[in-house]
Amino acid sequence: MYRYDEFDAAFVRERTAQFRDQVNRRLSGEINEDQFRPLRLMNGLYLQLHAYMFRIAIPYGTLRSKQLRKLAYLARTYDRGYGHFTTRTNIQFNWPKLRDIPDMMEHLNEVEMHAIQTSGNCIRNISTDQFAGAAADEIIDPRPVAEILRQWSSLHPEFSYLPRKFKIAMIGAPSDRAAIKFHDIGLKAVTNDAGEIGWEVWVGGGLGRTPMIAKLIRGYVAHTDLLAYCEAIVRVYNRYGRRDNKFKARIKILVHEAGIDKIREEVEAEFAQTKGGVLTLPQAELDRITTYFAAPDFERVNATQIDVLREKELDPAYGDWLERNLHSHRQPGYVSVTISLKPVGGAPGDATDEQMEAIANLAENYSFDELRVTHEQNLVLPHVRVSDLREVYDTLVENGLATGNAGLITDMIACPGLDFCSLANARSIPLAQEISRKFQDPQRQRDIGDLKIKISGCINACGHHHVGHIGILGVEKKGTELYQISVGGDGTEKAAIGDILGHGFVADDVPDAIERLVETYIARRESADEPFIAAYRRLGDAPFKEALYGAQ
Amino acid sequence: MEILTGNELMSGATVYLDRDGHWVEGLQQARVFLKEEAEARDAAIAATKKTMRINSLEIETVTLRDGVIHPDRIRERIRAEGPTAPRFDRQHLDKDGHVSI
Ligand code: SF4
Repeated sequence: MYRYDEFDAAFVRERTAQFRDQVNRRLSGEINEDQFRPLRLMNGLYLQLHAYMFRIAIPYGTLRSKQLRKLAYLARTYDRGYGHFTTRTNIQFNWPKLRDIPDMMEHLNEVEMHAIQTSGNCIRNISTDQFAGAAADEIIDPRPVAEILRQWSSLHPEFSYLPRKFKIAMIGAPSDRAAIKFHDIGLKAVTNDAGEIGWEVWVGGGLGRTPMIAKLIRGYVAHTDLLAYCEAIVRVYNRYGRRDNKFKARIKILVHEAGIDKIREEVEAEFAQTKGGVLTLPQAELDRITTYFAAPDFERVNATQIDVLREKELDPAYGDWLERNLHSHRQPGYVSVTISLKPVGGAPGDATDEQMEAIANLAENYSFDELRVTHEQNLVLPHVRVSDLREVYDTLVENGLATGNAGLITDMIACPGLDFCSLANARSIPLAQEISRKFQDPQRQRDIGDLKIKISGCINACGHHHVGHIGILGVEKKGTELYQISVGGDGTEKAAIGDILGHGFVADDVPDAIERLVETYIARRESADEPFIAAYRRLGDAPFKEALYGAQ
Repeated sequence: MEILTGNELMSGATVYLDRDGHWVEGLQQARVFLKEEAEARDAAIAATKKTMRINSLEIETVTLRDGVIHPDRIRERIRAEGPTAPRFDRQHLDKDGHVSI
């Protein structure tokens, strides 16, 4: 993992001291809220419905044990004993007090963390594959380049006041586990004709009020040129992006309105100016950063076949967990383990301080001190020896973290919604809880198979509802919460935006509506091997509409 | 009918302006402004702004039923009671979090 050098360390310390002074000035009345708000937002401090919310950056979702332990400490000392992992692989605390924030920042700095650029119209946390550096299907570990992009985009003087926020995601494998086509810039590792690895660049994707699938802007950009190329894109956006209307200010609208060919032309012209200049990434620097992400010292062990069926016979819960929560590793004898933060009836993405401590210990003892946060609001131990799985599982059981539901119907994304968020129209978490209770039977979940439900409490779509196989969007109508259901969204390389099937449902009716969709799928699927999303693509929306609204 | 609500600076806690000009935690203590009291309401807003201690100051419409204040928006009902899931107690004011106009 990347380690701060003395410049990084000095910088975050100075920023914390500066913010402490700003807080003091606000408390003493020297500056008012209008003056203070942009300062606190630059440091990840929001004011929500009930209290402040402090959002801490977890760059490309990678954490060391020490860092997770520190987050546990902050949860225990300054909050209410838990934290909420978000779809941008950050963590949020929902109850801090204003005067404690500088102390919290100081604690974060001690473990090379901060909250800078977790808000505002700047380049936000770069997200990537939770299995980066471990996945068997990976062409390249995207994290060194993600780190270089992080450094480039941190406090970039030209890009601190963009028309709107700007999000970059990257993936080093053919399977898109980072939803790159729904980001302002999506980067996918590819190999050119000469066999060299570089980046395919997608631009103008996004969710929110106007969901758009990104368009391919360039088929190949070498590592050396990536910063210059990204700079060209953001510069074109900064120049032409709309500042007159917040709802039309994202780059997706610019790409949509101007057309990808025009944007490409502009970007290429800009790139021609910047290419070969100061933003050229020297191989030596890439190599230097890459050393931080060197593969751990794996033990040489033979590939181990896990006999899931046998384990299921012996201990069904363990067998289910093995079946669902492991991901193939490139190193024989190792796997990546998904730790589900979606227990039945729980709040998706929440972890208590004790759970964070337990997971940090697991990472230290069984995963070379490494952890990942997924955009689906789970955690991952990236490098676990197959022979250690039982011990890892037993510890997870002790800490209420052994739900074997990764990728199943109860592994839902849900944003904080109207229980916390000041922008919300409707609640998300109670709905997720009800749906997970309805489908809690593990056997039934496995019969249903892969199915992603994603819930947002407003059109901003932090819960990625547009790309849920089943998406749920909360709206407010005449003082009550109403939920629109869409079907057919997909955040992977087969990117698709879900279709809204009809009028909304009141909260109490949503779990039954979801059940009717699921039953329709089960009745109409070709076999148990045809997942929900494939069946939807084959069948179209008619049977699902009928399931919700009756024959038209 | 309307009430005034906001979030106190130090704790971020949800607070309401009461009849004595104190910003307090309890929704039921809130001063209810009738339509014809717009001037008093605006004066209270102006005085509150001067304290610089109440953020996200808002006018909320409410209904009185049997003397009990019911905010019209569900958002306000949740603000008054705290998150419904997971169920958490609302944020409380610190000792030095009391604001008056
Ligand atoms: S989708 Fe809306 S309600 Fe949910 S966290 Fe984002 S802004 Fe808040």
